[in-house]
Amino acid sequence: MNCPRLKDWLEERYDLNAIKELAKGKLIPEHRWDLWYYTGGITMFLFIIQFVTGMLLSLYYVPHIDFAHKSIIEIVTKLNMGWFFRSLHHWGAQLSIVFLFIHLFGTLLTKAYRKPRELVWVTGFILLGLSIFFGLSGYLLLWDERAFAAVRVATGGAGAFPFIGWFIKAFLRGSMDVTGDTLVRFYAFHVAILPLITLGLVGLHLILVQAHGMSVPLSLEKEKRREAPFFPNVFYKDLAVWLVVAGVLATLAVFFPPEIGAKADPLAPPPEDVKPEWYFLFLLQTLKLFPGSILGLNGETIAILLVSGAILFFFLIPFFDRKSSRGEKSPVFTWIGVIYLLYFLTMTLVGFLS
Amino acid sequence: MRRIGFVSDFLDRLFRRLPALPPLAALLLTAMAATAEAAEKIAVFPDTPYDGFIIHESLVIFWIAILGLIVIIRMKLKEIERTQEMGADRENGDAPLLE
Repeated sequence: MNCPRLKDWLEERYDLNAIKELAKGKLIPEHRWDLWYYTGGITMFLFIIQFVTGMLLSLYYVPHIDFAHKSIIEIVTKLNMGWFFRSLHHWGAQLSIVFLFIHLFGTLLTKAYRKPRELVWVTGFILLGLSIFFGLSGYLLLWDERAFAAVRVATGGAGAFPFIGWFIKAFLRGSMDVTGDTLVRFYAFHVAILPLITLGLVGLHLILVQAHGMSVPLSLEKEKRREAPFFPNVFYKDLAVWLVVAGVLATLAVFFPPEIGAKADPLAPPPEDVKPEWYFLFLLQTLKLFPGSILGLNGETIAILLVSGAILFFFLIPFFDRKSSRGEKSPVFTWIGVIYLLYFLTMTLVGFLS
Repeated sequence: MRRIGFVSDFLDRLFRRLPALPPLAALLLTAMAATAEAAEKIAVFPDTPYDGFIIHESLVIFWIAILGLIVIIRMKLKEIERTQEMGADRENGDAPLLE
């Protein structure tokens, strides 16, 4: 498609050549670990799919306890391709979080967080937290018995946090228990508050990545290596990877459409073997390791404090890892990253199988 | 009398088959429960074979399109890399400008 008049019109007003030069001038290092660079692009692509499918679903979803469950059934059973868009949204969310974790651990193990990229890590980590909250808030919108029980457990767990737990719990639920207020609140988080914050943070994350350029692993920093222009070389490769991801996503959506359980009944006992989403399983298994009481203190509170401490340490790794900042190898933090990864994988697997 | 005889015959037969009633009732209840569960389960995928076939066929076409596009992208990328290696993509500042 060539529109010379439109091109001229735009060029008269804006400096399009500067954008072209910027895209051409951006260079991506080529080395044996450059596969990690694609995980960020894949996550962004999945975020775009989430936004688009979410907007389509929000046209028909009714955030009210009497109609929420019914509206989803209608989306799935009555709307043309409604089941497919809901399934895409569900699997898009799962894959986004999988790729966010891969991107995070890739960044950790290649020490891409080291000076001067600490804020890139910070914004990325917050985006992971937001995505998990996206998942939790979206899960409740289904308003079926499993979602209801899972959110009751999750918000109840947040309540075990000392001093501010009661506030977090009340803030999330909007009342004493998970009710219609919680549904409206989670809907507001899911479609308005979180997307806005996410857009801002993704923008900041991208600006920071552009400002610092792509990080090269410490072990390869001194090696002589080739660099490829982002546009068109890496952009085309990104495009090919996105196409594969789109195919995998569509296949998952067709073969494994997510089930809809019975409508939530706050007075009914919770269903048996209720499990939270897979990214909360490691947390649940960790809580199970602790007894009810330790030296007279609440075991759950101690467990939540320890897990929060571990997550905070993980978040602050770029500020603790001084050796990487100086350009020296820091195997201690590599091992810490491996231990975190193994713990997360093992506990998730144990939670999934138990 | 004949009527009463019919009733007593019926009761007789019923009581003779009484031991078979609990398993029958259990079977009926299980069947009811099974049907109730099946009725509760919401179809999250179009359940007619025709729709299923069309969806799977579309998925296959989608994958063929993806693979085709990847092949085109790869060819295009090879061409770009070849041009870059030759240096033909760089602008020559001394090149005469055609008016």
